[in-house]
Amino acid sequence: MLASRSKIFPWMVLIAVAAVVLSQVCWAGLANRFIQKTAFKGKHDIVITFAAPVDKEWAENKKNYRVYEEPDPDIKLEISSVALSKDSKKLILHFDEELNQNQPHVVIIRNMQSQGKNLGTAMVKVKKLYLGFLFSIFIGAMLIHNFVFTKYLGLCVFFGTSQKKSTAVGMGITFTIVMVASAMMSWFLYQFVLKPYHLDYLQIIVFIGLVSLSVQAVDTILRKVNPILFKAFGVYLVLVIANCIILAVPLILADNEYNAAESLMLALGAGLGFLVALFLMSSVRERLELANVPPTYRGLPIAFVVAGLFALAFLGFSGMSIF
Amino acid sequence: MDPTLVKMALGGLALLGCIGLFFGIGLALAAHKFAVEVNPKVEQVKEVLAGAQ
Repeated sequence: MLASRSKIFPWMVLIAVAAVVLSQVCWAGLANRFIQKTAFKGKHDIVITFAAPVDKEWAENKKNYRVYEEPDPDIKLEISSVALSKDSKKLILHFDEELNQNQPHVVIIRNMQSQGKNLGTAMVKVKKLYLGFLFSIFIGAMLIHNFVFTKYLGLCVFFGTSQKKSTAVGMGITFTIVMVASAMMSWFLYQFVLKPYHLDYLQIIVFIGLVSLSVQAVDTILRKVNPILFKAFGVYLVLVIANCIILAVPLILADNEYNAAESLMLALGAGLGFLVALFLMSSVRERLELANVPPTYRGLPIAFVVAGLFALAFLGFSGMSIF
Repeated sequence: MDPTLVKMALGGLALLGCIGLFFGIGLALAAHKFAVEVNPKVEQVKEVLAGAQ
């Protein structure tokens, strides 16, 4: 009992800390409880949602609002019009000039009037939910556009190393490490070397070189650090070089002009998605060993059928969007 | 030939050469640091064997 508790305890602490940090990030800047939500809408509008209906007369007076970008409070942004929704809860501030959404904006709302009562002055921040965007890249690469089950990439290594759970998990983790290392290196080289010198037409060659570099490095290090796992991978560790996923990720992030954090999320998502795929597949294949499979289907054929079924199941994620 | 294109191509050559050299040295150092001692007898026995299979 005590032993199990001591094992769970660090995880609980970690989760609690993560929850606190997340809630801080999500709710920072919403100082006033009367204001439920602030958001950018389009390129010219800021939407503010109140908890209760506000008075129309007060709301449509432009002088009650003051908006500026957080770094320079002296520069007041000109509001061109204010619109209140029918239920009087949603307020849209319209600006003639385009808003720079990469900068958090501060809105000061004076003497809020709701049903004749004065609710005081509020100061709220409006910012893009960047964390959500990062999270959606991560989940998208891992589940919604899982590289194995929806794009059919990297099948060679996938079928080769999914016979045993331990090998599959080891391969997934190694793959994730190689993926993150090579993706970050290719992001750096693409953004700071290839693009400024107009050498983007060499991207595939450079990316292949970087992938083989990181695979060779993992090969050398793993041979010394964990010979048992190295033996279990056999030829498949070297085959990671020829894996499509590991080359697809740098190409995707070069195409989409992702920044460092977004690239990291894409690489992590792709690697963990591969890990999930390998784990699921190896769990099924361990059971298939015991099943009475017709001789013609034994081995790879039934594995392909199972992979097809998994792909059908993963189709359930398609079209899903987060944030 | 357009000199800017030649410049670009030469730049590409130089750049890839530099990257290759840099990472090659890096890998060589890593191989040196993480070297695994292989029994020299393994090589000798392999050479003596017929080697058809």
